[in-house]
Amino acid sequence: MTIAARRPGRARIALNKVKTYLSKPQNTILILLGIILTITTIAPMVTIFMDTITVHEGSVDSRTAEDGQKYTAYNWEDLFVGKTKMSKRLVKTNLVTPLLNSVLLSVFSCVGAILYGGIFAYLVTRTNMKFKKYLSSIFIFPYIMPQWTLAMVWKNLFDSNAVTGGADGLLTALTGTSMPEWWCRGLFPSAVVLALHYAPFAYILIGGIFRNMDANLEEAATILNTPRWKTFLRVTMPMVKPAILSTVLLVFSSAMGSYPIPHYLKLSTLSTKYVELNGSRAGQASILAVIMMLFGFLILVINQRTTSGRKSFTTVTGKSGQASVVNLGAMKYVLAVLFVCTTLFTGILPIILFAIETLLPNPGDYSFITHGIQNNLTLKWWVTSENITENGLYGNMGILFNTTIWNAFKGTLIVAVCCALTAGTIGTLVGYCVSKNRRSKWAGYVNNIAFLPYLMPSLGVGVAFFIFGSQLGIFNTFLLLILAGTVKYIPFASRSALNSMMQLSGEIEEAAIIQDIPWYKRMLRIIIPIQKTSIISGYLLPFMTCLRELTLFMLLCSQTKIITTMLDYFDEMGLYAFSSGINLLLILVILIFNALVNKLTGASLDAGIGGK
Amino acid sequence: MKKFVSLLIVLALALSVCSVSLADESVADVIAQAQTMTNEELYKKAIEESNGKVLYGIGNSSRGKSAGASFIEMLKGIDPNYTGTIDWSQPKNNSIFTALNADIKGAKHVYSMTLIQDGNQIQSKMLDTGNLLNFVPKEWAEAEGLAKEGNESPLALQTLNKVFMFNNLGDTKINNCWDFVKEGVAPLYMGVNSELVGKNFLYMLTNEKYANYMKNAFDALSDEDKAYFQPTVDDMAAEAEALGLEAENAKYSLAWIYLWCLQYNEQTDDGPICNTLVNTSAAGQSGLLVYSKLRSVEETNEASVNNITVAAYQDDYTGIGGYAYKHYLMIPKTSPLPWTACAFIAYMVTTQEGFAAWGKDMGGYSANPACMQDHSKDGYVDGEDKFPAKNDRGYEWWISEDGGALVVEDPAYCASVAFDLGDWIDMIIGTK
Repeated sequence: MTIAARRPGRARIALNKVKTYLSKPQNTILILLGIILTITTIAPMVTIFMDTITVHEGSVDSRTAEDGQKYTAYNWEDLFVGKTKMSKRLVKTNLVTPLLNSVLLSVFSCVGAILYGGIFAYLVTRTNMKFKKYLSSIFIFPYIMPQWTLAMVWKNLFDSNAVTGGADGLLTALTGTSMPEWWCRGLFPSAVVLALHYAPFAYILIGGIFRNMDANLEEAATILNTPRWKTFLRVTMPMVKPAILSTVLLVFSSAMGSYPIPHYLKLSTLSTKYVELNGSRAGQASILAVIMMLFGFLILVINQRTTSGRKSFTTVTGKSGQASVVNLGAMKYVLAVLFVCTTLFTGILPIILFAIETLLPNPGDYSFITHGIQNNLTLKWWVTSENITENGLYGNMGILFNTTIWNAFKGTLIVAVCCALTAGTIGTLVGYCVSKNRRSKWAGYVNNIAFLPYLMPSLGVGVAFFIFGSQLGIFNTFLLLILAGTVKYIPFASRSALNSMMQLSGEIEEAAIIQDIPWYKRMLRIIIPIQKTSIISGYLLPFMTCLRELTLFMLLCSQTKIITTMLDYFDEMGLYAFSSGINLLLILVILIFNALVNKLTGASLDAGIGGK
Repeated sequence: MKKFVSLLIVLALALSVCSVSLADESVADVIAQAQTMTNEELYKKAIEESNGKVLYGIGNSSRGKSAGASFIEMLKGIDPNYTGTIDWSQPKNNSIFTALNADIKGAKHVYSMTLIQDGNQIQSKMLDTGNLLNFVPKEWAEAEGLAKEGNESPLALQTLNKVFMFNNLGDTKINNCWDFVKEGVAPLYMGVNSELVGKNFLYMLTNEKYANYMKNAFDALSDEDKAYFQPTVDDMAAEAEALGLEAENAKYSLAWIYLWCLQYNEQTDDGPICNTLVNTSAAGQSGLLVYSKLRSVEETNEASVNNITVAAYQDDYTGIGGYAYKHYLMIPKTSPLPWTACAFIAYMVTTQEGFAAWGKDMGGYSANPACMQDHSKDGYVDGEDKFPAKNDRGYEWWISEDGGALVVEDPAYCASVAFDLGDWIDMIIGTK
């Protein structure tokens, strides 16, 4: 027997390599997830792109199409340069203005959310500001509420007959003051409302890093006599950079794909234009969705460039780390009062207004204040138990007896729980596996493909799943909603898990590997307990987002299937008592779940950051 | 082996083609047979077909659910062992057309019937393509006093009116439809691209009949008002020609549409418009909204139906009083339960119980008098006419030129002008 004869063949070497590779659970999971996520992510994108070149019966593109023609470039040409004299004049209306507004809205929302949420996160986690626990809880309220409810509050507060037309809002009714039009409609209020809505998001992400940060580096800088501002800029900021970038990525994409806020506050954006064009220019509407996606890709590339190389920081090690607390002196009261006031507007006032709205005889009828007549308050929106007599409820029963509302609630809970479980689990696995294979190109690919759905506008994803679901005969089913929700919300969990796993030193798991502890035990006993706050956030964020998601689901089901479509229906109909009552119930449900999770696991949306 | 596989594939393809064409024919065939049957016969067929099954209906009106429940109860009255149900969905915005088309073209067909609005899209996306089929129940066609014209093809469940109203507090006076587009007037109105029947109303204005209405109303204006509008009317002559509009007086309609689009204050729904108009702080404000919204106003110090005047109810009012659109009942060519769909449709358009979900409110009119309820005294309380605005003057009054002069939607006309006129309207709105 020769030595050459004993040498294994190439096939066997390759097989052994594959076996070795797959013997690591993170690699096997990564391959499986890569395949699944590629299919679920790419298919909707291909569907949308194909829609841009498809001839739609009864749409403008069918005018020039010949009999039997299925594909055309008409939509692209008509949207960008105008194929007819008339449509040339529509390029600005249908493309340029919405595009510009979308970019401005996204940028301002990002800046606002990061400044407001980031500063708040710093103050709560790294300073001795007063009332932290209260402020931390109340700060996340705008994120709990469906995003357009703050827009409705804005309208109800600042509208006036003199400026916006129609009846006076609360401010004008009480004080006679009318706010200018730029304050009431368009870019400014839309950006402010979106920034307020996403600031808690920035707070959760940035605050999580601030809180878990090892203070050794900062202490070293202090020992070296580095000025505080320099330590902040050179040491602290680079460590929170991944969280800031995550926030930018998420907020920018969300703002760009937001439909209800610009819709209610009258700003023409790509998403509102998408809905407008969908009737007669379906293909061109899809092009707008593609443009939104391209922006998503652009941000992803920027993110890749910025964080390429060794730009992540291990902030959680096996050693204990105690973050230093900055003494604000007298400012600890001043800043606390300032935030108490702002959160009063963003968190408390909407709830008070919601509660009052459910007691008004007619929507927006504040005669009990303006005329001081207490009898003009009513419980009819809650307790009416029949819909035969005309009670001013437009044929609906009161909230407590309205089975349609309660069934929609049940539907929302089913969707939210299922989406949270599936998206949370897949996302956590992606985060874990990618962190264990940082230099692997495949891991980078899986990470990006898992994140891509978030960059796609919700409306675009909704349309893709709508067509897909209708063809399969699953339109208006929970299955379709859960499928769409899972794909869309994996990024929440994967980002959250990746952020935390990247801070986790490899030595922690290595010790267990040496002891020959199985993978599932390492996960359950070491990894998950250490990073449970971030991991549970990865479940809580999809859950909460699902509870108040509208744009993604609005095309996938009937208006009574889930509570947000029902809520939006009531808002559009002007039945604010019903929508306010539902809002109150939604907030209550989320707070109960948050408290339950907090009680059971010690983690919650804010508690892991500054709530304790 | 290869030949055998090829043969199998060919056979499978041939079978699938045959089954598709058979399915198409069978729905059309069922409809043809159903049109010769009485309601009773149809109900029996429905019981046979859908016992233990779910009929999926999709519609623009949530009340289809109540009508469905009533229909099922009625079938159970005939056969107590009947266990069929109706699942009714009401999709948001314009997605009903996409949902229906996807369902019809998809591998599995779910929807058996639809209650749908927007004549323009129905014509271009559903009728011209043959995706939806029309069914006219025998008992409906033979009904006494039936308003057949405009309600038969496609079959209309009801005609709804949207009417001009204004808040009568203050010194605002509106007695001509041109007053709604005077300088500084900004009527509250649903966005024409969010509720497309509102855009159809604008298309219909360019139809010869309604263009003449607009010209007549223009002629009734004061000299001062005429002088204000005349330059816009003159400018629109060239636009009418460029848009290929045939009506002699189309320029009057275009002028009105142009000013309306520039000036209207877009709202999300008629509900908020109504809530606003009845409010004391909305003095002088005007709007174009569904008439039936007035039914749900609760009287307080701040809100009252009496704060509103229905423009067309004024004796000295000239011109159009609003517009009318329809809810159509149709059957997809792939309907899985066509007999039940036909029976359900027949129930809604020929019986008072079937139409009750809509008939209980003013402002919605069945073409079949047998289904209608009287709302001419809805404003009376204890025998006293307390809210005259709520006394519905009825379908005939509303559509007559001497009465409400409503602009009634015609799917074929809308579809014929929608592309160019639609772009023209979008262009104006874009300049706001």
